[in-house]
Amino acid sequence: MSEVLPRFALERPATAAAAVALHGGSENARYIAGGTDLLVNIRRGLGEPEVLIDVSAIEGLKTIDAEAKGAAIGAGVTLAQLAEDETIAKAFPALSTAAESIAAPGHRETGTVGGNLCLDTRCVFYNQSQWWRSSNDFCLKYEGTICHVAPKGTVCHAAFSGDLAAVLLVLGADIEITGPKEKRRIPLAELYSGVGDDHLTLAPGDLVTTVHLKPAALPVTYEKMRVRGSIDFPLAGVAVGLSMKGNRVETLSVGVTGTNTRPFLVEGTEAFAGEKLDDDALDRLAELVQKQVSPMRTTLIRPFARRRIAGALARRQAAALAQV
Amino acid sequence: MRPGSAAMTDDRKKNRVAGRSMPLVDGIEKATGRAQYSADFYEPDALAGFILRSPYAHGDLLNVDISRALALDGVRAVVTGEDCAFTYGVLPIARNEFPLARDRVRYRGEPVAAIAAVDLETAKKAADLISLKVKELPAYFSAKEARAGDAVLLHSDKPGNLEREVHQEFGNVEDGFAKADLVREENFRCAEVCQVHMEPHASIAEYDAERDALTMRTCSQVPYYVHLMLARCLEMDKSRIRVIKPFVGGGFGARTETLNFELICGLLARAAKGKVALHLTREETFITHRGRPYTDIRMKIGMTRDGRIVATECDAMQLGGAYAGYGIVTILYGGALLQGLYDIPNVKYSGARVYANLPPCGAMRGHGTVDVRHAFECLLDQMTKELGLDPFDVRRANLLKVPTTTGNGIKIMSYGLDACIDTVERASGWKKRAGKLPKGRGLGMACSHYISGAAKTVNWTGEPHAVINLKLDFDGGVSILTGAADIGQGSSTVVTQVVAEVCGIDVERIRVIANDSAVTPKDNGSYSSRVTLMVGNAALEAANKLRDLLVTAAAEKLEARPRDIEVGHEVFRVAGGQDPGLPFSEVVAAALVDTGTITVKGTFTCPPEFQGGKHHGGAVGSTMGFSYAAQVVEVSVDAATGVVTVEKVWVAHDCGYALNPLAVEGQVQGSVWMGMGQALCEETNYRNGMPMHANMLDYRVPSIVESPPIEVHIVESVDPNGPFGAKEAGEGSLSSFIPAMVNAIEDATGLRYTELPVSPDRLVEALAKKQHKDRIDKARGRAA
Repeated sequence: MSEVLPRFALERPATAAAAVALHGGSENARYIAGGTDLLVNIRRGLGEPEVLIDVSAIEGLKTIDAEAKGAAIGAGVTLAQLAEDETIAKAFPALSTAAESIAAPGHRETGTVGGNLCLDTRCVFYNQSQWWRSSNDFCLKYEGTICHVAPKGTVCHAAFSGDLAAVLLVLGADIEITGPKEKRRIPLAELYSGVGDDHLTLAPGDLVTTVHLKPAALPVTYEKMRVRGSIDFPLAGVAVGLSMKGNRVETLSVGVTGTNTRPFLVEGTEAFAGEKLDDDALDRLAELVQKQVSPMRTTLIRPFARRRIAGALARRQAAALAQV
Repeated sequence: MRPGSAAMTDDRKKNRVAGRSMPLVDGIEKATGRAQYSADFYEPDALAGFILRSPYAHGDLLNVDISRALALDGVRAVVTGEDCAFTYGVLPIARNEFPLARDRVRYRGEPVAAIAAVDLETAKKAADLISLKVKELPAYFSAKEARAGDAVLLHSDKPGNLEREVHQEFGNVEDGFAKADLVREENFRCAEVCQVHMEPHASIAEYDAERDALTMRTCSQVPYYVHLMLARCLEMDKSRIRVIKPFVGGGFGARTETLNFELICGLLARAAKGKVALHLTREETFITHRGRPYTDIRMKIGMTRDGRIVATECDAMQLGGAYAGYGIVTILYGGALLQGLYDIPNVKYSGARVYANLPPCGAMRGHGTVDVRHAFECLLDQMTKELGLDPFDVRRANLLKVPTTTGNGIKIMSYGLDACIDTVERASGWKKRAGKLPKGRGLGMACSHYISGAAKTVNWTGEPHAVINLKLDFDGGVSILTGAADIGQGSSTVVTQVVAEVCGIDVERIRVIANDSAVTPKDNGSYSSRVTLMVGNAALEAANKLRDLLVTAAAEKLEARPRDIEVGHEVFRVAGGQDPGLPFSEVVAAALVDTGTITVKGTFTCPPEFQGGKHHGGAVGSTMGFSYAAQVVEVSVDAATGVVTVEKVWVAHDCGYALNPLAVEGQVQGSVWMGMGQALCEETNYRNGMPMHANMLDYRVPSIVESPPIEVHIVESVDPNGPFGAKEAGEGSLSSFIPAMVNAIEDATGLRYTELPVSPDRLVEALAKKQHKDRIDKARGRAA
């Protein structure tokens, strides 16, 4: 094949601390676990790291600890492992659904929770070969100065396309990070900057090690729209959490991925508290979602439909949850 | 009764080899991974080839400076357009493409230079050192731009950027429409699609500088054409070239002509005086293209109240890309195959093949007919509903009566469409279920047909259409030597079953030696679904000759008359006698006495009366027999996401006679499935000539999740021209899937969609528009 990987050194540390020490915050080092995102990109000339630090041998990152008080999921847990885990399926069924819906079986065998949360943002003008991008004057996200999605703009619109984040946001997950300077724990939402070409708030050398979940406060479901039932990244992925008190909404929460530069919780859903979820309320919910998603021409599937679909997925799931 | 005649089919179930479901003879290699494809030939001394491609869509190529690349350590050769002044192309009348651009680049990704180096890394570095000087020209990505009066010509000999215009009328459509009770007209837009065969392109070429000889292994459907074009472009005598086709991972028409990388690989090997392996990426394979062109269609049909089609008129515009390729044939097929399916007395067709600054299109599965058939069957469905008729009855009202000759001069000897229609109507439970499905679920049907090989070849030499050699030697093994290219469709299995049947021997005794120009007879290749009929007939003739020799030897030993000898299960015996007869090995030994190794040859030539009408372009569409297909598709539509799920497909295919029902079933399923890709979600997408889709995430071939249950019914009309009555099985079912699915979507949603593919985003937009319109109509109704 005439796409060759550049030369790099591969390190395989046994602990997270060793991994972070090896990285040292260097610009030329990258963590790698499953490699289903990173290697494809490197092969296309998207980045040329000199050192890849393989964290897939770190045993401490590969366990799911489902306690009574929630769960701690190691960032090195594979998506297949997550999808098949019975305690997760029982306590957080939407997380199993999301994990099982990612890419294809081969990807899930190696792709990890940490990788899916840190997945690079995607755009049809970015996820192309070196020849392609150089023939198209590169782009704002990498090696270029213009955004082909919105040529007059100065920001990158590449879309975040990881599935797990939408569910984890609704579940109120925290993530634990080990960095060269400190260990810290932050709400998942704070991992994402909202800037397409620099989408994570991680400092150089930071390694996401664990996802912490409190027991689910409300039933959650996840549904994603994609053209094909396998392989495709979500064109819109929507998680809905809904608890009812009698026939009225107690708590409603909607997490969205695939449409914006970051996964996010839809704002203003608390206004539905105390309402009956009739057709009118459901239409308003769909509209609320439609207003806050901002799909751009980052895929070949038209934004108009992606916007409507995001709203429709929220509406449909909320209606179903209200029936339970 | 000689084997191979149609009447043999009566007792096929009794131990017949030709007619038995059996795994493909080369299946074991593929299933175990032992099969070697072109990129699998790891030769340590092979140089790595790499192609530098144009970043420009259109421009005068003023200079390609390779001096710095040549100076790089490890670079063994660099070639450019300067190294080959000869055009290539599949049609002798339309060769306008150079292996490497000369003077002009016409699409983004067109090869401009190529490097052979010790490794790929070095070759890529060298490519970065080549500088191009290009004077950019206006580039055109749509027919409207390319056809504008002041547009720069892509090819100076093609005014208006028009490759070919076609105007044909058979009967008189004006009179026809005058007799119709209902005339309707509709415009259709069909996106460009491509094959996405599993194996990316690859060649390996070895040049023997001392002998001036070239050997190439390549992933072609047409190694013979590759041979011809290598000789032409490298100015070599054909005898000094040897082309070998190893296992090929699919083609579907992408490889039915010589492709630029094959010629480039040859040029590089010669320049480097050595061995060069050229492996294209998936992106490059997409850019090499040769898919089905973007097509605009205006379709008009006239029908009587009782469903008789009295006239049809069709305009088709195909956006063919930057070079001719098969273009003239493609635009002619669109019109030619308006006929041959139904009895339509008046047919008019206007076609235009337009140049644009995009990768060249080609002869994709169902060549030229698919989009036109789609438009016809959709409009027919609409009119059927408007007249309150049943779609099956409408087809029945328009059946041909065979033997017949169509308005455009194509002879038809067998016709299983009626049986196909009956079969799927019954299998799908249409009468009970149609119109009664819940909201969001629908049924649709459509029909199609396809040729069993172009009866007139594009490269007419006067030679037979097919030749097979058989060799029988002391070991009792029968070697079939064939140039027919098995690309997964099973051609090697077809010839094996034919020979085994005729000679009364076990399949295991036979080996197929295929596609080595130094050993096997020339064959035109695998395209236009020609192999089963043409090569099958050649195999039949060769096998009969071999059988005659063996029967003569057996008769002598058994002291009987040859005509009294019967053959079966590897035993030759006197018919009706009590004698146990002679085993095959003894007959072989007897037959070899005095003569030694036996070689026989079988040929097949399409008689002139099957080579099409006398009108201009009349050879296109001509065939020895059409396959026929009818299918019913059931869909469910998720209105919220626009996702269409194909729930089930019932398809009946008339292949004349199923030499291998298992293989026929596989071919029909593959056709349906490929049609499903085009119908649901496949399309290319260019922005300013950049292929946005050139990877398997953005070009969305359906995955196994989308694969519906496909119920295949085989119909056997037994064509007198076919070997044992066989016709084609690998293309005809493709084009009826698409309209059947779109008709089913109409049934499910009330939306008649005229664009392909019916992708979720398009469907969501269209449903939103329809909802809006319905609301306004309702409000107006209320106001009124």
